[in-house]
Amino acid sequence: MIDELDCRGLECPAPVLHVKNALEKWAPATIKVLVDNEAARQNVSRFLEHQSYQVNSQLQGEECQVIGIRDEGAITADLTAAAVKQQEAGTKKIMVLVTGVHMGHGDDGLGDMLMFNFIKTLKEMGPDLWRVAFVNSGVSFTVEGSEAVPLLQELAGEGVQILACGACLAYLHILDKIQVGEVTNMLEIVTGMKLADSVVTV
Amino acid sequence: MVAETIRLTQTVKGAGCAAKLAPGILDKALCGLDLPFDQNLLVGLDRADDAGVYRVSDELALVQTLDFFPPMVDDPFSFGQIAAANALSDIYAMGGVPKTAMNIVAFPAKTMDISILRTIIEGGLSKMKEAGVVLIGGHTVEDSELKYGLSVTGYIHPERILTKRNLQKGDRLILTKPLGTGIIATAIKAGLADQELIDRVTQAMATLNLYAALIMEDFTVHACTDITGFGFLGHLAEMVVDSGFGVHITASAVPVYPEALEWAAMGLIPAGAYNNRNYRGAFVDFAASVQQRVQDLLFDPQTSGGLLIAVAAGEAESLVAALKAKGIECAAIVGEVVNRPVDRIVVE
Repeated sequence: MIDELDCRGLECPAPVLHVKNALEKWAPATIKVLVDNEAARQNVSRFLEHQSYQVNSQLQGEECQVIGIRDEGAITADLTAAAVKQQEAGTKKIMVLVTGVHMGHGDDGLGDMLMFNFIKTLKEMGPDLWRVAFVNSGVSFTVEGSEAVPLLQELAGEGVQILACGACLAYLHILDKIQVGEVTNMLEIVTGMKLADSVVTV
Repeated sequence: MVAETIRLTQTVKGAGCAAKLAPGILDKALCGLDLPFDQNLLVGLDRADDAGVYRVSDELALVQTLDFFPPMVDDPFSFGQIAAANALSDIYAMGGVPKTAMNIVAFPAKTMDISILRTIIEGGLSKMKEAGVVLIGGHTVEDSELKYGLSVTGYIHPERILTKRNLQKGDRLILTKPLGTGIIATAIKAGLADQELIDRVTQAMATLNLYAALIMEDFTVHACTDITGFGFLGHLAEMVVDSGFGVHITASAVPVYPEALEWAAMGLIPAGAYNNRNYRGAFVDFAASVQQRVQDLLFDPQTSGGLLIAVAAGEAESLVAALKAKGIECAAIVGEVVNRPVDRIVVE
């Protein structure tokens, strides 16, 4: 059991890590930590308070002793729970690139059905779905008459960015028929691929 | 491969911009210096801005800056990218266009394989290319600790310089990258950050402020700076002091890494954050509702942080929308320029 730590001469984050280790191993009711710089004093104090210790600092010349007394009434914060929360906090950015009207190669009727179903199911990606970009004949999903339009409008309503390749719309003479999303260019598509955490191409 | 196994952050004391000399100490070295006068020097040392500006003609001025620091990530290529993005950022924050750069290197050749330096410079070069900047030289010294950065020169129109001064009443303040990279760098050093977060933060730090700067060109921007070693409130204080106005910050609107909030509560706070608070804390009033961990995050020294843009009130929403549309998703209105309290920051 160690309840006195000498953290003099250590730069952050080392003092906090020493205290963390001591708490995890021995969970002492009282701990004394000797530090020699202000950042270490404050960091160790913050850490002990976070772990439900009551903290006092005593200056001893250039040095400082931080004393923590466990507050028995409080529940000690669980370090592993904090780590799990960290993992859950971030969302990813997924970009989906739709390059045609069929999904995969084979019978075109089947390919059409699969692609429509794919677009319909995209919402299951949840908040990780960031952008859906349509290129080549894929742009036809964003124009008047496509059954995919209401599905894409729903996605857009959830905050997903819907992009349609302007050059493709123009080439197919349907630029004026776009019903959902924004007209984009190759630069934006390429920049988006770079910004995205992962890109799914169909 | 040595390059694969060395953890760069374990070889140095300070990490990234957190290694910056405390601002109060720097003042002691710089204040009262006998600086030569030159009428073409438009922005110099006396103004404490992001970069210096020197007029060449009525149409053209040079904008110059320099930044280097010890590694804040373990991967050499990423470190090179981040250091370069960070150095280039000062030019963008002035409204300039960077053109040439020189490498600044301190390298521990006795303890580190030279291939690591090559990878770092390749990382830097990748960002210079992305920015349309040419590398024209550099200088390398042997040192016990690794450091890398750039000296950057760019162009700017003498009448279109964006300084930190010139806040106007009602301006909205927009921040373009989340805060918390100093605390996260400390957690990386402590071995507490997982790879997914390291990747996410690395990508953000390596992202050029070029894209945000290009977008803001189309709006009525009155003042701008980039958030680096002095932290959000430290750099904001430079905008507010002697402005004749005050600033209201809405703490809950400021984009942050949630992980950094958690680690701030654990005391994984770089010494630079305390230095920043000691130096600029006197200009800031926190409402009682602003938690300690949030206060710490607002003083956290950032490496290659975002732009802090003061834009005319009526255009703020559309500027944020334009930034988001170009993939700068976290861009948010974080505060407002108000009449009083004069020269102070109120955080609520």
